Amino acid sequence: MNNNELSEKYDMPMEELFSRVDHNELESEKITAPRYSYWRSVFRVFFKKKVNIFALCCLGVIILMTYLYPVFFEYDKYGNVLDAATKHLRPMAAMKLLGYNIHWILGTGASGNSTFDAIWYGAKISVSLAFVCALINLTIGVIVGAVWGFSKKVDAVMMNVYNIIANIPYVLLISVLVMLFTASFWTMVFALTVTGWISIAYFIRTQVIIIRDREYNLASRCLGTSTPKIAMKNILPFMTSVIVTLAATEIPSYISYEVFLAYIGMGLTDMSLGRLIYEAESAMVTPGWEFEFWSPVAVSAIISIVLYVVGQNLGDASDPRTHM
Amino acid sequence: MAKYLTKRILYSIFCVIAVVAIVMIMIYSLLDRNKVFANDSQYSKLSNNQRTIYCYQQWESYGYLDYVPYTDWLNAMAAAGEIDEETRSAAASIGRTAENDSETVAAYVAEFTEYYESQGYTVVRLDAVVAGKKLASGGSQTLFATKDIPLASRILSYFTGLFEFDNIHKVTDDVGERGLTFTLYDPVYGGEKFSPAIIGNGTNHKYLLYFDNVFPYIHQNFMNLNLGISYSVNSGIDVWQTMTQKQGSFAMRTVIYETGLTESSADNLHTATYVSNSRTATVVNEARYVDNYTNVSTYSAGLSKVGYSFCIGIVATILAYVLGLPLGVLMARYKDGLLDKIGTVYIIFIIAVPSLAYIFLFKAIGGSVFHLPTTFNMESTSKLYYVLPIISLALPSVGSLMKWMRRYMIDQMNADYVKFARSGGLSETEIFSKHIMKNAAIPIIHGIPGSVLGALTGAIITERVYVVPGAGNLLTTAINAYDNGVIVGVTLFYAVLTVTSIILGDLLMSMVDPRISFTTKAR
Repeated sequence: MNNNELSEKYDMPMEELFSRVDHNELESEKITAPRYSYWRSVFRVFFKKKVNIFALCCLGVIILMTYLYPVFFEYDKYGNVLDAATKHLRPMAAMKLLGYNIHWILGTGASGNSTFDAIWYGAKISVSLAFVCALINLTIGVIVGAVWGFSKKVDAVMMNVYNIIANIPYVLLISVLVMLFTASFWTMVFALTVTGWISIAYFIRTQVIIIRDREYNLASRCLGTSTPKIAMKNILPFMTSVIVTLAATEIPSYISYEVFLAYIGMGLTDMSLGRLIYEAESAMVTPGWEFEFWSPVAVSAIISIVLYVVGQNLGDASDPRTHM
Repeated sequence: MAKYLTKRILYSIFCVIAVVAIVMIMIYSLLDRNKVFANDSQYSKLSNNQRTIYCYQQWESYGYLDYVPYTDWLNAMAAAGEIDEETRSAAASIGRTAENDSETVAAYVAEFTEYYESQGYTVVRLDAVVAGKKLASGGSQTLFATKDIPLASRILSYFTGLFEFDNIHKVTDDVGERGLTFTLYDPVYGGEKFSPAIIGNGTNHKYLLYFDNVFPYIHQNFMNLNLGISYSVNSGIDVWQTMTQKQGSFAMRTVIYETGLTESSADNLHTATYVSNSRTATVVNEARYVDNYTNVSTYSAGLSKVGYSFCIGIVATILAYVLGLPLGVLMARYKDGLLDKIGTVYIIFIIAVPSLAYIFLFKAIGGSVFHLPTTFNMESTSKLYYVLPIISLALPSVGSLMKWMRRYMIDQMNADYVKFARSGGLSETEIFSKHIMKNAAIPIIHGIPGSVLGALTGAIITERVYVVPGAGNLLTTAINAYDNGVIVGVTLFYAVLTVTSIILGDLLMSMVDPRISFTTKAR
């Protein structure tokens, strides 16, 4: 008697009836658990916090402003240089004099230039510098650090290299490079990355050493897993949150460093945020000129804070232990 | 332990030498040496051959090369008695071009060329530059030999000359009976007050050991550090002295000179060094000194560069530890509480905001709200001048100490021994103060020697913003002025400090935590 006959006989729909399931070797091997996707979980945890959505929006706005504003709005630093009346104006006075548009909402600078424009043109350079440097340093640092942590022979050599490189004054190295070449964007990138990777590599090395000798890696090795596979499959996932956290502190630190270098007179020749702050230093204490100084300071602070908060929380979220 | 320590120290010395070598390569080989003249007004005034000579003279004093003018060589020969004065003056007048040389000149020029070329020098002859019939401005003919100092010998001579030992044969003049005298009554104090001193004759310094009322009260001149000579930052003065010499206006006091003359002066007689024939050179010296030990430094009212930096740095460091550690502990103790949240916001602020920005912020707030002085004044005795620099230095370190202390505490809180202690019935306060804190403090303790010694190097931005005459800006000033001597000296000083603080940190850590031992190989 098949199911059709049975359903007619007892007047019940087909679904209500039991049906026969044969034993299947393949099916019985499958584990039925909810699907776990690492990155989906990361973003689920990340977006659960309201502050992260807000910070991410801020970051989006800032990135858009830094990269799109210079595309759409022309900035001529010396456009008003001949008109003495346009120098060092407060926002209201500037708008009254030069017309009500977005350029003058933060007043004017030392040569009658728009502070608002200057900030976004400067931010473009500073943010690009920070991202490029962080990318290069993190890539080299993580790779070297992984090898450094794994091999005891490399460790012995690299410790001495680290002691030497870490002791060369950074300021001296950068100034020598800046004098050798010109103080252009790529010189600065080179100067910040030529030794900058070593501290990251050292940090990663310590992390690798901590995880390297854990029991699960020992077990993995006993089962015959090759070292590259241990590095890629066992250790790298563990390091993701560490690397993301590191990136969160690294990126703002380059912005801060660029400001510092500009302040001691070794920065870029381009109008970066650091150079804006450096050139407007005297404006800090002059009544009525404060906008020139505090706006680039505030923008660099906001960029750094937003990047830091997003990075830290993403780092927290990328730790699998928070996914439960 | 001793064996391990010796090995560590040897490694560290190697590292320091390597750092100095790299820095020397950078400044002497990589940098364009013409940049030295970028802001030199003297250079732009000169022209033609005179400018070339000036360049070589400057490069010699900056330590790039060895420069021997032809006339100096002749003078040396004359002084040694190899040639007489007549020949010397005849040989010295070289022609406008090589063809115009007289026979005597040509012979000596050939000898000069041969002698120096055999030693690896390049002999350069610049013919006269003529405008019409007359010599052009600075265009007189010249002849000299020059050789770049090779890196290896530069490093060797730098490190061998690092410690200068004084001895009774240091002075080459006839100084009478050479020797050291020990006295219980220092003549500087009038010879009546009890104060032991060792006085040398024939030594470079007159007072080799003496007591006074300045920290560290007992001073010696047997061995002096020679980090190199500053060129443009502190013209002609030793780098070590540049860092440690007191600054500011003269501090006058009653001084009894050796001749018995008593007057109000800032001279510090204990620092007297030998200068040939100096006593009879001026009336001033003759009235005051009985021998040629006349070169004295002066008492100043202010502190030295390192002194100011250390004063500000050490107070800031102490403040940072006193505030940062308890706050970090409390943040971890009441995790996710109000204090933790406020603290986290503060830490984010300190990490993310460019350091320049918040130092300016502190300066602006301190100046306008609290009416604190924002520009440092060496001459004032008011302690208020130190307040803002100290705060600007301490607050960032408070932030980072809070961050790390909290991190270490929280890491320890999940450890098994804490669960065990809790299951054993210990109170939370007991667990925190007796178990977690002791373990969490170990990495913090490792950093203490670093922060204390780091206070000596000063802070670049803080000192610039508040115009503190400290050591922090020495390196940047030297780089901007191309003062190679100071760059190398300061780098060596920094490198020694970092290396020492790492070793001290390890030692301190192994003293505090008996589990850490450097004698047996870990792992």
